[in-house]
Amino acid sequence: MAQDIEDRTTGGTDDRRDGISSAMQPPGDDLRARGMHDLGPAEMRRFRDVERRFLDTVIAAGYAEIRTPTIEPLHLFTASGSLSPQLLDRAYSFLDWDGWSGERVVLRPDGTVPAARWYRQAWTGSEPARLCYVQAIYRFEPGDGQRQQWQCGVELFGLPAVDADSEVVLLGVNVLAALGLTGIEAEVAHAGLVRSLLESAGVGASEQPGAVETLAAGDPPPGAGEALRLLAQVEAGGATAEAYLANLRAALPSGVIEAARALDELSATAAALTAAGVALRFRPATSANFEYYTGTTFRLTAGGEALVAGGRYDGLVAAIGGAYVPGCGFGADLMKLAERLP
Amino acid sequence: MTSIDRPVRVALPRGELREALAERLAAVGFVAEGYGEGSRTYRFPVTGLPGIVVRVFSEQDIPIQVALGNYDLGITRLAWVDELLVRHQRDSIVPLRALDLGWQSLVLAGAPGTDWMRLAAEQPIEVATEYPDLATHVLNRLRVPRYRVFDVWGQAHAWPPDDADLALVAIEEPDNRIDAGPGMLEGEGLAPLLTVYTGPACLIANRQALAHRHLAAALEALLALPAAARPWGFTLPVPDTVIRLPRARQVSQREQFRMAVPDGHAQRHTVAALADAGLSFAGYEAGQADRRPDSGLADVEVKVMRPQDMPRAVALGHFDLAVSGRDWLFAHTAAFPASPVIELGDLRRSRYSLGAVVSEDLPAATIAEAVAYWRRDDPRRTLRVASEYVALADHYARERHLGRYQVIPISGASEGFVPEDAEILIEGTETGTTLRANRLRMIDVIMESTNCLIGHAARPDGRRGELRDELTARLAGAALAAQEG
Repeated sequence: MAQDIEDRTTGGTDDRRDGISSAMQPPGDDLRARGMHDLGPAEMRRFRDVERRFLDTVIAAGYAEIRTPTIEPLHLFTASGSLSPQLLDRAYSFLDWDGWSGERVVLRPDGTVPAARWYRQAWTGSEPARLCYVQAIYRFEPGDGQRQQWQCGVELFGLPAVDADSEVVLLGVNVLAALGLTGIEAEVAHAGLVRSLLESAGVGASEQPGAVETLAAGDPPPGAGEALRLLAQVEAGGATAEAYLANLRAALPSGVIEAARALDELSATAAALTAAGVALRFRPATSANFEYYTGTTFRLTAGGEALVAGGRYDGLVAAIGGAYVPGCGFGADLMKLAERLP
Repeated sequence: MTSIDRPVRVALPRGELREALAERLAAVGFVAEGYGEGSRTYRFPVTGLPGIVVRVFSEQDIPIQVALGNYDLGITRLAWVDELLVRHQRDSIVPLRALDLGWQSLVLAGAPGTDWMRLAAEQPIEVATEYPDLATHVLNRLRVPRYRVFDVWGQAHAWPPDDADLALVAIEEPDNRIDAGPGMLEGEGLAPLLTVYTGPACLIANRQALAHRHLAAALEALLALPAAARPWGFTLPVPDTVIRLPRARQVSQREQFRMAVPDGHAQRHTVAALADAGLSFAGYEAGQADRRPDSGLADVEVKVMRPQDMPRAVALGHFDLAVSGRDWLFAHTAAFPASPVIELGDLRRSRYSLGAVVSEDLPAATIAEAVAYWRRDDPRRTLRVASEYVALADHYARERHLGRYQVIPISGASEGFVPEDAEILIEGTETGTTLRANRLRMIDVIMESTNCLIGHAARPDGRRGELRDELTARLAGAALAAQEG
């Protein structure tokens, strides 16, 4: 799942993480490529611990592990529309040994798109596919930021919202619980809801990513209706979620069917999660990678730190040339989880 | 780190921008003696500013040289700076001032009336350009789902419409008095379809030099140059929809036999090779090269293209036969070992040696001795290998176990690099005269190059295959006879 750099609440250089590996280096003689970090024995022990707990949890829930190649054709990502041009600019793309064709390949910048490709090529059954993976993704980060990140994630293809969404969120919660974390909260949003509301407020597709950013900062765009104001400026969730959602429904502009449908979906998912005991908060958006998602999106925090992010992306398999298949999932930065192991 | 006592080094462009820039520099009292006059020297002192040295480079080499820190300051086209910066982090180059000269636009050009957006929704679009990273950036911004970028040596406008869908080219403004304005496209039967970028020349600096070196004297003079008075940068429309992935491009079987012949330095050797075989193409003679000369042969279509770009065009299946060079073929297969291009016949002209060139003062007889000499004080010194043949330079460095090395791509004025700006130059020499004149010598020969016929490893069927065999036999046979006779 496209875990964004922008999502991190601990933004910027993580000195603590660098401190772990820099202690192992000979001083003043760094032979590593910039942005690349070793995992020494202590870190690998923690890595394997997290990995084992992650895999045990998701496999027990019926998910099967896959592994896709490090190198993929660039057009898989340009065509899917899943990565914004800004993210594409940071991908490690190059002409490989067959590059006389002029088409570049790329070091995997994201875990979900390759999983969707695998699903499209290899999944022959008609039943839903529950997949999981642990693999590295590569994105340029300035300075000494991590350019290689280990991601663990799940993808669920072929099952529509609401059941699939609540299954995946609960799975994420269970993964964090398996790591011994407490105080887990879920922030939820719905990309389709915001998209349709922005459209009806006259915000064109190209301006929407920017508008979502300012929405998330509490600023509704000019011409925003009451529903967008509510989303931007009201913090809601927990025990009174139902009341908030009813207010939101009342504030929806009339005749925008898509918004009503999206809110129904969000409400149903929220109800299922609340019934399962998940602490919920509503947000206008939970990811800066807005273009990726079509439905419910979420972010799981523990102790205030965002650790897992995901959502629904129904158009993805179709965007890479397959049939229209619903899909959702989540991803997490494995080393970040490792740091939180008690 | 280089000594902080060395002179301040300024990189200025040769070629088309030189005259206009020299005028502006003189107007602010910065006179690099001989620069404006087009002297063929590479290095120039600056009148009244003893601590400054000017060196000329091709425009596209200047951002690289400044980024590397070989040069503290440079003036070049912003398009070349952005070509580097869109892909590489901004650590090393600080664009200081966009200048009010040398304005150009980058346009996507193609056959007039081409609906490139519709095209992009139907098939992977092919774009030929000298700015491959800018092109990639632009295509990503335009949300083109699938594309191929052909990075070419020059004359990207030669490729569309038959060998690429579009070309991303620089169009000069009329004031520049440079012959690459909109008329250039018209002459090729192309039209500008979308302007994606506009920008002038720019003064750039190396970031570390700004922090640590005394550049004030040079800066004071150069910052007196008038700044650009209008906006510059990308001028891209923001697309509202994401286009769906097209199926892989349907390669329709080409019926027409197509042959490519080179322009530039290689042209006269090709004209001679044709003449030996009793052939001549109307419009392809000494000093003249129409884009599509008339072969005078039934069923043989001819196109003029840069010989450096021919191996790729042949690999893509655009030509059945091409007159290129063994050096270009070798460079292409060094980068792309699986590429389906082969040599079909040796034309035995344009003979020269391609190899590693070093300073004539270097106390070493072999490349191994040279490496030991360069690393005598610092075993981990990075050796700089400059070349127009980037893949070849890389290949050479690995083969000769140069250890820690850095390839510096250059595009002309190669003799000026060694020894100040590179240890090794991978270059060709016919007689050795130019090398000696520049106090250089070839220490290691990589290959002997001649012009040659190249073609696709899979022989075409039918008439195209027959024609390929006939022409190859005729040209190669005549070349052999001419050599022996």
